[in-house]
This record gives sequence, structure tokens and C-alpha cells, in this order.
Amino acid sequence: MRPAPPFDPTNLATTNRPMNKGSYSDNTSRLDAAAKVTGRAKYSKDMYLPNAIFVALVRCPYGAGDLESFDKGAAMAVPGVLEVDISGKEGKYHGQNVGYLAAESPHAMKRGMRALKAKWTRSAVKTTIAEGMKEAPDVDQDSKNLLAKADHVLTAEYSTQVQIHACLETHGSVVDHRGDSATVYSSTQGTSSAKDGLERTIGLPKSKYEVVCEYIGGGFGSKLNGAGKEGATAAQVAAKYKRPAYLFVNRAEDQLDTGNRPSVHARVNIGFAKDGTILGGEIRTWGGVGVSRGGGNISVPSGRYKLGDIKRPHIDVTLNAGGPRPFRAPGAPPGAFIEELMLDEVATIAGVDPLALRLKLEQDADRREMLTMGAKLIGWTNRKATGSQKGAMRRGFGMGTTSWGHGATQTEAEVAIHRDGSVEARSGTQDIGTGQRTIMGVMAAESLHVPLNLVSVNIGNSSLPIGPGSGGSQTASSSAPAMAAAGEDARNKLLAAVAEKTAVDVATLSIENGAILKDNKAFMTWKEACAKLPTETLVGHGVWNRKEAQSHPSTGHSHGAQFAEVEVDAETGVIHVKRVIAIQSGGKIISRKTAESQVIGAVIQGISYALFEARVLDRNVGSMINANLETYKILGPNDMPHIEPILWGKGQTGVRPIGEPPTIPTAGVIACAVFNALGKPVRHLPMTPDKVLAALEGAGA
Amino acid sequence: MNRFAIATPKSFKEAGELLADKRFTLPVLKGGGMDVLDHMKEGLYEPDVLINIKRLRPDGAQAVSEASGGVRIEGNATLAEIAASKSVQTQSPVVAQACESAATPQVRNVATAAGNLLQRPRCWYYRNVQFECLKKGGDRCYSVEGENKYHAIFGGGPCHIVHPSNLAPALMVCDGVVHLSGGKRESVAIADLFHMPEKGITSEHTLDKGEIITHITFKPATKSGFYVVKEKQSFDWPLVLACVSLELDGDTIKAARVCAGAVAPVPWMLPKVAEALKGVKVSDDAALRKAAALSTDGATPMRDNAYKLKLLPVAVRRAVLRAAGKDPEPQA
Repeated sequence: MRPAPPFDPTNLATTNRPMNKGSYSDNTSRLDAAAKVTGRAKYSKDMYLPNAIFVALVRCPYGAGDLESFDKGAAMAVPGVLEVDISGKEGKYHGQNVGYLAAESPHAMKRGMRALKAKWTRSAVKTTIAEGMKEAPDVDQDSKNLLAKADHVLTAEYSTQVQIHACLETHGSVVDHRGDSATVYSSTQGTSSAKDGLERTIGLPKSKYEVVCEYIGGGFGSKLNGAGKEGATAAQVAAKYKRPAYLFVNRAEDQLDTGNRPSVHARVNIGFAKDGTILGGEIRTWGGVGVSRGGGNISVPSGRYKLGDIKRPHIDVTLNAGGPRPFRAPGAPPGAFIEELMLDEVATIAGVDPLALRLKLEQDADRREMLTMGAKLIGWTNRKATGSQKGAMRRGFGMGTTSWGHGATQTEAEVAIHRDGSVEARSGTQDIGTGQRTIMGVMAAESLHVPLNLVSVNIGNSSLPIGPGSGGSQTASSSAPAMAAAGEDARNKLLAAVAEKTAVDVATLSIENGAILKDNKAFMTWKEACAKLPTETLVGHGVWNRKEAQSHPSTGHSHGAQFAEVEVDAETGVIHVKRVIAIQSGGKIISRKTAESQVIGAVIQGISYALFEARVLDRNVGSMINANLETYKILGPNDMPHIEPILWGKGQTGVRPIGEPPTIPTAGVIACAVFNALGKPVRHLPMTPDKVLAALEGAGA
Repeated sequence: MNRFAIATPKSFKEAGELLADKRFTLPVLKGGGMDVLDHMKEGLYEPDVLINIKRLRPDGAQAVSEASGGVRIEGNATLAEIAASKSVQTQSPVVAQACESAATPQVRNVATAAGNLLQRPRCWYYRNVQFECLKKGGDRCYSVEGENKYHAIFGGGPCHIVHPSNLAPALMVCDGVVHLSGGKRESVAIADLFHMPEKGITSEHTLDKGEIITHITFKPATKSGFYVVKEKQSFDWPLVLACVSLELDGDTIKAARVCAGAVAPVPWMLPKVAEALKGVKVSDDAALRKAAALSTDGATPMRDNAYKLKLLPVAVRRAVLRAAGKDPEPQA
């Protein structure tokens, strides 16, 4: 592959960008960057404690099967094996656990598992959504009438694959049980939710154990389920032996049994007028939810476009496979893939420019403005008409939009000032890689009016003031106002203490950049002020919840628009994404670098979903045959385009969602660009060469 | 992983003796150790001794050296060393390009030439321990009724693996010879190193027990080129690849050798294409396409891999262009 041409910002209308001049912090690097890149950061999976027991789950190797036999004696005879506890008999998906084995070391554990020689009898499996689609009803009469009135009807089938979270740090917990108390080191997106429900298995009251999660190697939603079966089993073993128990799953188990974004099949019948105005119709969808009964709902239509009267019947199809869990904007990326590609197909049939069509259908004024701006930045005027290119290498442009609602989760925070002048920002919340630790520090420093280097951040512990789970893109928007309020409270308390000790009117005092001012003139240093504290530590408290959020009209929804330029090799079907422009609003940005990093990461994950990632089940046996990171393919450096994140500043107040929305449109945007390049839509993800070549031949639709 | 010992022999002779040592149940040679480790982690085999030949070289031998009438690479030369070698790059570019394209920089810094030739197939049924496939002594090839997107389009089974080596097809177009120690044979032509499944399903090569690859020689093929199509451009296995060496008279092809990879259980020579390329001008796109189209003659695709029939002629044609010193990739 030819390297991407160097990015030339002078070609773009950079001067007109509404950059977020008002962000709290533009250049702060992650507070934990050095710890992470030097390996000093200890993740929960790194917690190899003295005297620990290592636990593995015994799992079904097939899509469905019965545990016929196992050699418990042989496993117990392996030196170091402590216990084999198998209670289940039936497996309904590859990876389903039926029991566990505990041993004195990881090696003894693995040898024990092998000596166990579990024998399973396979039974018949259902592995594809198609098997649940056989009795799909025809389009209903209302929709038929509507379609009959339309100038054109687009009838098409779209599908998306199962995407695995593939966190670098696999799922699990280490439970350090000391008999009368315990510490749970969990890789979790919620220290407080991981604590909930463990009291029974751990055999201790909630006051006697805490959940610690200093660093997390990736979450994306799959670590929102409390301590999970891994934590529960580790707790059970730890409680039984009154010793530390370690249960982190291996890569294959992680791929099999820690959730996923379910697959989708969509049957689209929509009618539209000659000018592209959409009258409506039906988008019937099926979700491939594995062993679960639900969880496959997808967000199509998204509500961002005027699509007339659309019926959207949906059925979840239960299969012999691992079930879904929340996954970064769960049903939205597949929904946007279908919706955006569908819109480009409508535009092509109607003979209108997809940009013009979107501007016409778009419901939101901000997003219309973003679309216009993004089109300028990507160079939309260089776009050739869809289907007009005949060469081997074809260039395409695509676009799409995103939106995300604002919510608020009960959050408490503390800012502690010590007599020695040091400051602590405390929150139970955890940093799943989003920059949460950094923004907690920035908010505490901003509200105290002290430099950031004075603040140390303590997060990732259920004993700290309750923080939100890292989900729904609500973490920053809930915790930042709480931390700001705590800082403000601490500032007021400090100034009151200084006023009392120095017998001045508190109203004359203020803090600027860590110095105490009286009537806006230097009065004393920060250290001198802190030394006057009546107690060793002063604590400011802050709270944020739904009620607070409702009384702050500054909070709002997030919006975005993305554009991509691709090159498609029409002879090999290989897609090269060249550039992505990602415009995203997120309120008043707290930490510019980490916010941009969120947008870039979301786009990467979106491209990876569009082009590569897919769980592959053997259709006959039901086993996942790519439960690894070799043939479960994730985007690597040679497939990285130039990504330009643009944080939208106009009208932004409060803290708004930014973690999920930028991953929503990406797959759809790429699909539109590929359609533009080839003149044929690739309606099935991931867009691998076989599918691209099939689409070019007109097959596979 | 099982317990195992590591032996570090001082000579290939000693390595051969260790291989034959009856005290060991399953002695396994280790070069870079890439594929050995993969197998041990997956539980596909449990060697009781690894015989480390990674540093075993004749005194003063470089990874790559000039040999009479060609180039010599040591069996434990890394892919990175071969790719970076000026003499390989100039004398047989196809070999350098094949090595450069494999895996990742990290893997190429460790993986060896001999290991690349003898690595086991990447078939996802072979690599998953719960499938008792033909290659593991079982009664069926699961890819036939199962997921065969990455499987062979030539050979017709009964095992449908594709040969995983990048280096082997490159050596096929420049008279590669594999030199051996510890057995009856001194050397074997690269074309005779591999066998089809019907000659024995549980192994892919013809080496006798005790035969160890010491080094590899090949003849100059100054007009040669490699082209690969992959789904992912970082760390991915080929969907198809083609290696070509040409004898040119100006723009006209006087003779050609063409070998495909990732399409059959062995490196797959394409003599019909080679024959058809004779007399063709490299600049004659239509004639090149016509010759390359013959590359799929005799193919028997499976349910999900017929797309390889479209890719192979493209890879062949682009490898010809690269061999002739032209940019193989079209411009947008």
C-alpha cells in the first residue's frame, strides 16, 4: 500500500473553525501518561498477590453441548490443584461456564484444566440471524399504500456483524480476602456497581470490603456488569480459602463470553419523491443476540433526518453464541450504517447530491452547519458523481451525522486541602482511558483557582465518594460539575478559615493562580493560607444528580458530523481510508487533548468495525473459530487514515457527552464513500475484499 | 503450557543427535520460536524439549552472504535481515519483498527463514484445539462444510489448507535450494520441500526426521517481484500472493516463472501463465491480463472463497509489473 500523502492543513479553511477557545485546559497531557507508558501503572490484572489462588472457568467448547464426563481425579492429582467444582451440565454457547478449577499457580491451573479432559457431546446449533427470518411478514398495508404513492422505492437488505469489545486488559478480578476484610481489584467500569452484589459471595458486609480499579485497559461497555461472573467466582474462592484469588480470563475466553455488539439484519422498503424527499415506509430489523433474549435493538431511523412515516418492526433472534453487552453507543453505529448508506442510495437514485439531500432532511440547525463546514474541510467539490469512475483505483467521499442525549448520574466528589498545602481531588469514579483522572484534576484546580500540579487525583476506589459508572457518555458530564462544586466548597471554607485567623472580612479575599488576594492584592501565599487551617485537612463536598442537572440549563445534547475520503482498489476490493474529518460538540471542553483523543479513538474503532472486525462462528459446530486477535481483525497502523478531530465551540455550555457519539457515524460514512467510489453499495459489514468484489458484480445485495 | 527443557546444541550434528535421542518423547526444533510458541499456547502439542538452533551458524557466517552463482541465507536468518540485505534486494528482489511483507516488524525481527518455510498452516480449524481435523488425525476437514473463506482454491483436498509461507513461493521462482544436515540428503530443491495432502496430511514438508535446514541458496532473479492482497495492511495473512521472475529483452518478456501463494496446500506454480507471458510486452496491458487470467485454470473454489479467483490474476499481473520495475498499483 502506498503511504498516505502528508496532510496539508493549509489546504483547508482552518481559520474559520470554531475552535474551543473556552476550554478549561488545552494542552494538559494525561496525568497518568507517564505511569502508563513506563509500565509503572498497575492494572487490576497485574495484581499478582503473595499466596494467591488462580482460578479458571470450565467452559463449553461448542455452540451447544452436554458435559458427558470429566476426570476430576486426574485434575486433582496435578500438583498444586486445590479444587474442581463443576455444577453445570449443559452449554448453550461456546464459552459458557459450568464450573471452575482453583490452583496454587497459573501453570498448575492450566495443567489441571488439561488433565480434566472434559468431554462434551455436541448438539445442533443455530448460528445465523437468517434462521430467525424465515417467517418474516410482508410489509404492512399502510406502508404498501405509502410506497405506492412514491416516485421511487428503495428495497434493500443490509447487515452488520458481531463486534467484540476486545479490551486489551481482559475481564476479571483479584479478590484479596483477609478473613475479616477484603480488597477487590477489578477491571471495571464502575467501582461502586462492582461492589454491589458481591457481599454474598465474598461473605462480608459492605463496610468490610472495597473495590479498587486504578487503571483499566479498555472498557467500551463490557465492564459495566458489576464484578461479573469472574469477580463473583474469585470472591467465592477467596472467601472459602481466606486467601487472595485471581481470576482473569484469557484472550479466547474474553472473545467468547464477555459480551459484544450484536449483529443486525435490516430489510428496507422506503419510498421517496423525485427530489429525494422521503415519504416513509418500513425498516424491518433482526438482532442476532446470541444466547440472550434481547438487547439487539438498533437505532434506525436515528431521528436525525426527516424520513417521513417509517415503521420499524424489530425481532431479536436467539442463537448459540455469547450474548450482547453495552458497547460504545450500542445500537447506534449499525443503525447509522444502514441509515447513511440508505440516504446515499436514495440521493443517487433521485440524482441529487448527498450533501444537499442531508441538508434538506437534517432536523438540527447545528448539525446542518457542521455538515456545511465538514464538506468544505474534506473538499466535497472534488467528489465525482457516484458510478462515474471506471479506473482500477477509485476515490470516494462520504458523510454522516451523530447525536447523543444528555443525562446525569448521582455523583459525589471531594476536594481536600491539607495543612501542608497539598490538594486532593477524590472521586470513586474510574478512568477507562477517557481521561477521567485528568479532568477530575483540571476541575478541582479550576474551581480552587490553583495550578494543576498542586492537585493529586484519587479515583478508582469504591471507598471514595460515589462516582458514576463509565457508561452512557455521562461520566464527565456528571462528575465534572460535582468536582467543581467540591472545589468551590473547599475554596470558600479555606477563605473563611483565613479570614477568621487574620480577622479580615472574607468578602475581600479571593484566590488567583494559587495565591491568596485581599482586595485583589497579594495577601499571602497558598502555603501560608493552608497552614492556618484549624484542622489537618479541610474537605469540600460536591454533588451532582438529575435534579441539579435540570436546574442547569447549560447542559445539552451533543452533535457531530463526519466526512471521509477513501480510495478503493476496484480490482482487489481493498479499501484505503485516507482522511476522516470528525466534527463533534461536547459542551465546554475540560481537557482538549483527551477529548480529541476520544474522538480519534472513536473514529478508529468505527473504521475497524466498518472494514475488519467480525466474530466468526463455525455454522455447524457453533464454536467461534477466531477467538483471538489474529483472525479477529482489528485495524492496525497501516490502515490508519489521517483523522482530524474538530471540537465544536459554538453555543457550547456545560459538560456534554463525547465518549460515544463520535463512533456512531463512522462505519456509515465509510460505506457512503465506498459507494461513491464504486457506484455500487456494499451493504454488509465488514467491507472486506470478497464483499466489495461481490458488490461490484451486483451480487450480494 | 507443559514443562519442557531447552537444549542448546553447539552444532547441527549435535542438534540432529538430540532430535534422535530416545529419552525425549517429542523433541522440537526452535528457530525464532514464533510458531512453536503458538502451538504450545494453544495446546496443539507439548514438546518435552526444545532444541534451540536460533544461534547455530558456521563460524563467522553472516545471515546473508554471496554464494557461487547466487545468494546464501542461513536457515536462522531473520526475515528482517533478509529484507534489509542489499544483495538480496538487488539480486532477487522478490525474496526481499516477500520477507518484508510478512507479519509485523516485531515478528520479522525474530522469525527465521527456515521457520517461515516450515511453519504450520494458519487454518482456523487446525489452530483450534477442539476441532479434531484431518491434520490432527481426525476424520474430516471442517472447512468443507464450515467456514472456508481463507482456504485453498487449488488441490481439491482432502485437507484444504493454504501454505502460509511468503518466502517459499519467492524461492520457487529463483531456483531455491534448501540445504540439510542430519539426514541422507545434502539438499532438496524448494519445489520438492513440500507435498500435497494426499502424500501425508499430518505434515506439509518432505523432510525426514532428523533432517535440519542449515541454509538456503537461490539464483539471482534481478527482474523479480512480489505482490500480495491482504484484508488488513498491518499484520495479516495473504488472501492471495504472487511471485514472478522475468527474463526481459527491453519491454518484452523472454521467459517467466510464476508462483502463487495462499491458494493451495503448497506454493502453487503457474506454468501456463509463464508460458503465455512469453513474448508479451510488459506495456501491453491487454496481453498481460490475458496471460494472468490463466492463473485460475483448474481451480476448484469452495463456497466462500471464489473471490480469490478474481484476486489471483490481479496479483499475478501486478507482480509482473513490479518484476519489470513498474509501479504495480493503479493511481486514483
